[in-house]
Amino acid sequence: MFGTFTMRAAHLPRETRDTLFHLGVIAWAIAPHTLHLPLWCGAMAALLLLWRARLALMGGALPGRWVVVGLLVLAAAGTWWDERTLLGKEAGITMLVVLMALKTLELRARRDALVVFFLGFFLVLTHFLYSQSLLTGVWLLVAVWGLLTALTLAHMPVGRPTLWRAGAVSARAAALGVPLMVLLFVLFPRIGPLWGLPNDAQGRTGLSGSMRLGGVASIAEDDSIALRLRFEGRAPSPEQMYFRGPVLAAFDGREWTRGRSAFPPSMQPQLELAVRGEPLRYEMTLEPSRLPLLPLLEMTPNRADSAPQLPGWLPRQRADGQWQLDRPLHERVRVQATSYMAHSHGPRENIVGLRDFVDLPPGANPRTLEWAAALRNRPELAAADARTLAQAVLRHIRTGGYTYTLEPGLYEDNAIDEFWLDRKLGFCEHFASAFVVVMRALDVPARIVTGYQGTDAETQDGWYIVRQRNAHAWAEIWLEGQGWQRVDPTNAVAPDRVQRGRSLAPAPGFMAGAVNAFDPALATRLRFAWERVNNRWNQWVLNYSRSQQFDLLRALGFSSPSWEDLAQMLGLLLGGSALAGALWAWWDRRRQDPWLRMQRRVQQRLQALGVDVKAHHGPRERAARLRSALGEAGASAAALLDALDRERYARSGRTAPPGRSWWRSFDTALPRRLKVAR
Amino acid sequence: MNTAAGSLPEPLRGLAAWSPRARFRQWLQNRLPPTDTWVLGQRNVYILPTRAGLTFVATLMVMLLASINYQLNLGYALTFLLAGAGLVSMHLTHGNLRGLTLHLRPAQPVFAGEPAMLEVVVHNPGNERYALGLRFEAADADAGLVWCDAPRQGQASVHLSLVPARRGWQPVPTLMVETLFPFGLFRAWTVWRPAARVLAWPQPENPAPALPLGTAQHGDERASRRGEGGELDGVRPWRRGDTMRQVVWKKVARSGELVSRETTGNAQRELWLDWAEAHAADPEQRLSRLAAWVLAAEHEGLDFGLRLPGRELPPGQGDAHRRAALDLLALHA
Repeated sequence: MFGTFTMRAAHLPRETRDTLFHLGVIAWAIAPHTLHLPLWCGAMAALLLLWRARLALMGGALPGRWVVVGLLVLAAAGTWWDERTLLGKEAGITMLVVLMALKTLELRARRDALVVFFLGFFLVLTHFLYSQSLLTGVWLLVAVWGLLTALTLAHMPVGRPTLWRAGAVSARAAALGVPLMVLLFVLFPRIGPLWGLPNDAQGRTGLSGSMRLGGVASIAEDDSIALRLRFEGRAPSPEQMYFRGPVLAAFDGREWTRGRSAFPPSMQPQLELAVRGEPLRYEMTLEPSRLPLLPLLEMTPNRADSAPQLPGWLPRQRADGQWQLDRPLHERVRVQATSYMAHSHGPRENIVGLRDFVDLPPGANPRTLEWAAALRNRPELAAADARTLAQAVLRHIRTGGYTYTLEPGLYEDNAIDEFWLDRKLGFCEHFASAFVVVMRALDVPARIVTGYQGTDAETQDGWYIVRQRNAHAWAEIWLEGQGWQRVDPTNAVAPDRVQRGRSLAPAPGFMAGAVNAFDPALATRLRFAWERVNNRWNQWVLNYSRSQQFDLLRALGFSSPSWEDLAQMLGLLLGGSALAGALWAWWDRRRQDPWLRMQRRVQQRLQALGVDVKAHHGPRERAARLRSALGEAGASAAALLDALDRERYARSGRTAPPGRSWWRSFDTALPRRLKVAR
Repeated sequence: MNTAAGSLPEPLRGLAAWSPRARFRQWLQNRLPPTDTWVLGQRNVYILPTRAGLTFVATLMVMLLASINYQLNLGYALTFLLAGAGLVSMHLTHGNLRGLTLHLRPAQPVFAGEPAMLEVVVHNPGNERYALGLRFEAADADAGLVWCDAPRQGQASVHLSLVPARRGWQPVPTLMVETLFPFGLFRAWTVWRPAARVLAWPQPENPAPALPLGTAQHGDERASRRGEGGELDGVRPWRRGDTMRQVVWKKVARSGELVSRETTGNAQRELWLDWAEAHAADPEQRLSRLAAWVLAAEHEGLDFGLRLPGRELPPGQGDAHRRAALDLLALHA
């Protein structure tokens, strides 16, 4: 099947073959976008490319300009329908994909082809907004190679060059450019965003400062790293690691936010953090979250010996215990701090300011409120304190048929009602917010804490890895005399999620399943190898940032590196490589036709022996002169020259000059006088 | 084999020739030594980015901005990979021309207004060279290009056609060899002023008046005109020097041996083509008429001589004679 296809491809006219190749490359470059773009967009692109391929095969005429414009308007309308805008990331990419496919219908002149190439390069870049995994990288490297090959093919107007030939030329150009790429990648100063935050770059993490229920049907397994952490002494077990992010106190029925207190600051509850036990000194590197906060280990007190050390930043602890930064985190930073696992915080007495934490939106989730009232009315709980009530609710979660899942489906209005009483499917956000709502309905002050919980099971060189998928939401309830207490309702239904710090693993793919059935040990080894490669990729490529650049400069002897140093060094090296290029070109100028060079060398050798040979004499003439000048002594060398002459001027004569072995035998064949002369 | 048409540039085309740009070009060309063998090296290969190259840079800039703003490390990698490949392509484009030797083969004379074939041999001492475009410097930048590939350590020949507008020795106009290979981001070119000239014969008048047979000297009454006495002509085996027209192809086809028509009879007739008899207003027109007569006399198989003011070509016939006559006409002062 494939064989016949390649055979047929070999018989296609060059123009058709090139067009089909070009379309194939475009399809390859668009393909990964079909995973997240609207369905119609992928379908439209596929149909357009197939149509263009058919036109190329049948030799049909390209459609008129108005057809193209009409299709473009249609696509713009579709985008508007989906996104309500034509700007922004998703809309822009949708339009780019359609534009790319449409432009193939206009591939007439070289200029049109060039437009497609440049659009193509940009399209490749847009994939990285969604994924920068190794697999994506390899896929798109192939796409870039294809685009460069098509570009080369467009500049080979003579004959019918094979695709391999054009591919080799483009691969060579790209490979020769790799040193420059590495240089630029390593030294190009990493600066923050140049203008306002790209809005859609936010909200990747669960720490955006708000939490919306029912907005998403499922959350993706985001394996990107959020932070790494290393302890100076003994490390706590990963399931005890709670990294405190924004604390959410206000609920409007759909969305949790920090909210504004109804009370003046003096009446609001203060942090009143008391710690005891062993201090845990740790060092943490944070990936850029684009949020102005530090998710530190609970609880890190604001004292000179324990507060986060972060030169150049102004960290400050909020009254709810979360550490805030003075500006969003756009670069990788390293921070040192000390935390205490044993701690208590919050007011010990029931102050008025705590009433903020029993507020519920009027009218929302009435059935849950009824459920809470019914719970309260149970005789055994009539006089129960907050702790007993919380235990009762947790027991209900454990025994009430709730399921932890990453794909709970969409919840509509009164999401808590629907989750708590009907569907009972959810992940940490659902459990935490339902728990807080119920506790508030029972008149217990409660709030939501977002952050990360748990780490990877294995450490890397002593570093614990916390990934975006470790993002978590839990609850805090206020207990008289004790202050705020952490309660993790997810623990009640999916202790696995909390204890191993891993979210539910998605069902294994078909291949993984097959390997698993065949040889579990091999599967494990493969998985570990893959994870190791992936870790390297993450560490060396994806997490390369300003601090690594500065580390590099420090290693090179700069005492206090700045981005100006980077720029200077980059300029210096680029100038050096430009000079090297010019030198190479200059050297290359002196390169001669190898045959002529060989002729000159032979001439030099023979003249050293006193044989009169001229530059224009061919090998045969030289052989004759050698024989007549030296007689028997030069016979064997002359025979070699004769053989060379025959080869050179044979019907399918050699074009390359003889190699090293020929020279060796030629030099041995020459009489001794030469060797003395040398 | 690649061919293209070109035309001689008018030396001065009105005011355009006096624009600073044209004058600069003229000055630049005059600096070039005229030569028939042009070795491309660092000194005579020029390179500049094309419009596509500038667009490429703009695209890279946008990609860099996107990478910075979204902090995409792979975006940086992609941008820099393309930048590296683009920069390397500059060297490849320049290297695609550097080291080549171009040689212009001597061209055959042609009639003015008819295309002369110029053969340029590209000698390549290095690795394969692709997409070398040749054109006359004055020709249209896109349409006039003839493409060729030069194989590794081999040769390629390109044919350019040149239509001389006037008779006489015509200089081969300045040639330009350029390449966009591999990515079209840069254009490398060289300007070559060949030393060779093309001889253009006067354009034969068409239709031309009949041959001035009245002046033919009837040296021998046995002479008969071709056509009337065609059957009377004898045949003899082909001899070196017989023209193709003398070969009796019908007999050749039948017997398989080359035989020629005996033309001794015609040789007796001497026709003088005289400047004075070509009555025309304009000397150029006279030359055109004489050229047409030369062709007609040759076609008729007549012995003819040519008499120009101050020059005379004794009667004779055959290819060499015809050429000598036409050369004389072409170079008539």
